[in-house]
Amino acid sequence: MESVEDKVEVIAQASGAYRCVECGRCVAVCPMAEMYPNFSIEMSPRGFIKKVLMTKNILEDEHLWYCTECNAGTDVCPEEVSCRDLVKGLRGLAIATGAAKEARACRSCGELYVPTPVMDYVNERLGGASLRYLDLCPSCRRRRYLLRNT
Amino acid sequence: MQKQAERPEDHLSIDDLRPLPKRRRLPRRPPVIVFNPKKCTGCETCEMVCSSRNVSMVAPASSSVKVLRSDEQGTNFAILCLHCREPLCIEACPTRAIEKGKDGIVRINDLFCVECGICTMACPESAPLVEPTTGKIRKCDLCEGDPLCVKHCPEEALRFYRGKPVRWIRFLRWPVQFLVFLFLVVILVGTFCSFKAGVVSLPCPTGTLQNIAATKTVVVTGLASAMVLICLTVIFGRFFCGWFCPFGFFLDLVGRITPKFGLPAFLKSRMIKYGVLAGAVGGSAGLGFQAFCTICPIGSICRSYGAQGVVRGAELAIFPAIATLEIGERRSWCRYLCPVGAVLALAAKFGLIKIVIGAPQCKKFSCMQCAEVCPMGIIDRDALREGISPQVPMSECILCLRCVDQCPYGAAKIRFRWQKAVPGERE
Repeated sequence: MESVEDKVEVIAQASGAYRCVECGRCVAVCPMAEMYPNFSIEMSPRGFIKKVLMTKNILEDEHLWYCTECNAGTDVCPEEVSCRDLVKGLRGLAIATGAAKEARACRSCGELYVPTPVMDYVNERLGGASLRYLDLCPSCRRRRYLLRNT
Repeated sequence: MQKQAERPEDHLSIDDLRPLPKRRRLPRRPPVIVFNPKKCTGCETCEMVCSSRNVSMVAPASSSVKVLRSDEQGTNFAILCLHCREPLCIEACPTRAIEKGKDGIVRINDLFCVECGICTMACPESAPLVEPTTGKIRKCDLCEGDPLCVKHCPEEALRFYRGKPVRWIRFLRWPVQFLVFLFLVVILVGTFCSFKAGVVSLPCPTGTLQNIAATKTVVVTGLASAMVLICLTVIFGRFFCGWFCPFGFFLDLVGRITPKFGLPAFLKSRMIKYGVLAGAVGGSAGLGFQAFCTICPIGSICRSYGAQGVVRGAELAIFPAIATLEIGERRSWCRYLCPVGAVLALAAKFGLIKIVIGAPQCKKFSCMQCAEVCPMGIIDRDALREGISPQVPMSECILCLRCVDQCPYGAAKIRFRWQKAVPGERE
């Protein structure tokens, strides 16, 4: 039985986080800088990779839940570190171990489909108090159309 | 924007780098793929041909269209981008990678797209599809106007559509309105309020109510003839307001040229007109004459032409004064204040016909043209945005049929009250 730390280690290895040279190219292209006014070094991919490697209890960290899992950082990385895979893996682990506090569950199927900060951003951009579909996961939204429109 | 206020001043945001494009005029007949769920067999040919264009091989996971199948209902549905009129994905995209072109096609610019998937979260239908292995976003771009899926659909469930070419109801309504205006105002001076032709007389229902209240006597013939318009309204709805009312015609004309600034919130209650009606009837009972009729803009416009109109100078000023309400909203008098409309609205509540929006043809949130043209503003944009057929309150609908005329996909229809409207109507 592997401990959680070992699993984090495996994910960090697989995504190549140990190769990170802290050049900061990923920070320059990260869309989180546009999305969140409180964008900080801990939230940025470079700071987050460092934190994954240096600290314990990374699954409890709130900064795990700001990333949109986009491809921008991975695209420009000279060392081919995939911060997307890192975040994806850690989120999966957090959900599996029950440490996921910041994930939104779909109203209809209960699947954790989007982190709360990302949804808050979408909500703010769309002015979306009246948009009730926002708390449905994509497959439930599509399914709703299937059931309704035929 | 509030968010920018929180930012340090030397920070650039995406609005400085790539500002949202100004709202430009959309093409009159925007191209769209219309999907007919009744014909779809769920064969997924569209997915295959779409992926063959996207990645040069048959890999349905990389296609921009997704076929859903319901085994319980035995129905199928194709999810594809509808190229919305006001696309929410453009608003939400943090890198402004999504653009709506001059031709009305919404495209993802691969140079800017970082594949974050926020467009999928913002879209009501989640039409931008995330490729599961690579995370790439695939969204229909209508193959630049010649969609492959439409060509290859074996059942013709997908059709490429460029909107309805001729909209003919307007060519009927404007002449009718003009002729009635001519007839009531110019030829028969001062005769909407009680229109006599031989033994038949057709008085205005609100005027009759006030008359009864003022004189406290009920003339049966007068009441019966006032019921003619009421009965017609029960059958056809408030068609009088949309097609015959001379003041409504005047407002339609004025409304075409005035800019719209919106109304203060206290005026925006559709119950006010019932209050005005009650006040008019009560006032007539107290004062002993038809209180509202002296300031009625419909009566004013009817009496304005001819020798009488010039004599009654003050009365002549009423209808232009009320017409200035048009700078608030279209037909704001009819929406919120008109007591004649209130009587007809009460009758139309029990009406036999209704306007239905949202047969399977309706593109819902992507189009909104019905909500845009509706002079009474009764088509629920939120419901359209959610993809639900909006309920049209027939007491407020003036049966101008602009929505029926405007809908490019033929989804706005006239139906009898008891006819089943559409699946998924908001309860």
